[in-house]
Amino acid sequence: MYQLQPIGQTSEKVSEAVVVAQDVRHSYDGKSFALDGVGFEIRKGEVFGLLGKNGAGKSTLIKVMTTLVRPTSGKLTVLGLDPVHEGQKVRDRIGVVQQAESFDFTSVQGNLDVYGILWGVPKGERVRRREDLIKRFDLEPIRKQRSFDLSGGQKRRVQVAREMMHDMDILFLDEPTVGLDVIMRRELLDSIRNEVRRGLTVVFTTHNLEEADYLCDRIAVIDKGKIIALDTVANLKRLYGGKKTIEVTVAAGSSPNFYSKLKEKLEPEASVKAEGASAVLLSSDTKQTLQTLLELSKEEGVQLEWLNVRQNTLEDVFIDSISRPH
Amino acid sequence: MAAPRILRLMYRNMVVNIDPGTLIILIGLPALYLVFFGYGFQSLASASSGTSYLSYLAPGIMGFQSVMAGTVGGGLLWADRRWGMLAQLLVGPFTRLEYLLGIMFTSVIFGLAGAFVMMLGAYALLGGFHLTAYGLSVMYGTILLGSIFFGSLMLFISALVKSNNAYNSIQILVLFVVNFASTVFYPFSSSLPVPIQILFRINPLTYVADAVRGGFLGNLTAFDVEEVGVLAVETLVFLFLATRAYMRSNVSYE
Repeated sequence: MYQLQPIGQTSEKVSEAVVVAQDVRHSYDGKSFALDGVGFEIRKGEVFGLLGKNGAGKSTLIKVMTTLVRPTSGKLTVLGLDPVHEGQKVRDRIGVVQQAESFDFTSVQGNLDVYGILWGVPKGERVRRREDLIKRFDLEPIRKQRSFDLSGGQKRRVQVAREMMHDMDILFLDEPTVGLDVIMRRELLDSIRNEVRRGLTVVFTTHNLEEADYLCDRIAVIDKGKIIALDTVANLKRLYGGKKTIEVTVAAGSSPNFYSKLKEKLEPEASVKAEGASAVLLSSDTKQTLQTLLELSKEEGVQLEWLNVRQNTLEDVFIDSISRPH
Repeated sequence: MAAPRILRLMYRNMVVNIDPGTLIILIGLPALYLVFFGYGFQSLASASSGTSYLSYLAPGIMGFQSVMAGTVGGGLLWADRRWGMLAQLLVGPFTRLEYLLGIMFTSVIFGLAGAFVMMLGAYALLGGFHLTAYGLSVMYGTILLGSIFFGSLMLFISALVKSNNAYNSIQILVLFVVNFASTVFYPFSSSLPVPIQILFRINPLTYVADAVRGGFLGNLTAFDVEEVGVLAVETLVFLFLATRAYMRSNVSYE
């Protein structure tokens, strides 16, 4: 049975930091910063999620950690090594599935084989891993097809499977589930979880909140090149609550300024995200917010058509955190 | 024990390049030149000079393989940038320099192998020939240098251009000018228009073709050796330029 083998063995504590970033900045044009003073630690054996909108800086951060881009300033170590001056040593111990597709002009099987050769995996082991990955990632029906002829989801599966051909200590996945259907996405996330159980550290970028909730031990929310929240999923939810989420829909044609008036009457910490007749309210004082809402609707003669109070999801945390000035 | 990294890259470069389409271009096109031009112009050239045009053309086509080798190198870098493999390899266990050397050595192997196949073809068409060890070493040493030169030239171009159309257009133009403003197909003549004479004289493929022909026919001159010296200097210059452009280029088009 194929087992991914971490190169650095397991005598270290589980909480040992394998990536340490302090005030890391990167500018592509010398004027604006794609990364603007980022600091964090990634611990051995965890799944660390980078969550953010498109263009937030997630991919740049991955590129900096994987030695593809030099940080403009700041201090960064990966596996205790300096990626700028010891890039080769870092790359020898990491695996990277990039956001953009990348293939050789050959079959699926050929791509796995060639990649194994590039990483210096001995022949017997290479064949064993290839066959195991073809089975695990359900590539048997397409193993003879040329990679460029595959669908988007199939290509993604091949790309992730290909990276598993070699040993590593940290696996960087830049939005690996883009283009996958629901079942395949869940299977991929489960296979990543299995590797984590074997001691692999995973750094995972996504803008899919369900995925982050399902897979990640800790999450850094990144926006405009800054980390604006960093904690476990449970703590993030707690941090942005005891807030609860109130979903409200008013009758069509009601007072157009209803939600802005509501915002003015609520506590400063509460947030109101309105879209047409519906809005999502985040508030730590649910009782007071509901009371204000009902009073205002009465004053304005606005009919409430839907009202729901629920616990925060990660999506609420994400929307709330990137909405605040930082 | 794993093979050295550059050898692994060379193996990969060859595996992804050896498909029927690429082989037809690499071997088939020069072979077609050899057969069609060789027989087509044979009577014409023999009538005017009394020597076999095939004997003249065969070493020229062998030298021409160094240009084809260059297109392999440029094409590899271009395709790897276009299809994301350059970025993927550079987050793998390779340095930029190793990647560059992997491409360069692959080009050289394609150049030497292609020239050898053309030599076998010429042997069949000419009904045999005699080569000296000295002649052979000059022929293949020059083709090696030529492969590095044209590999560098095409790498330089593929490191700078940003679109597929631009790359293909430039490659076709360069191939045409380099091939037909050289002594591969016909000798230099002072009756040519001056601009074409200049192109002939500065074209590295002329130096390659002259030296290979000298080694093939056993009549190497001091001028041929001088041309190889100039070729070596030009190769160094273009290798430097190509390395510089490649090291500064983006690894992908994201």
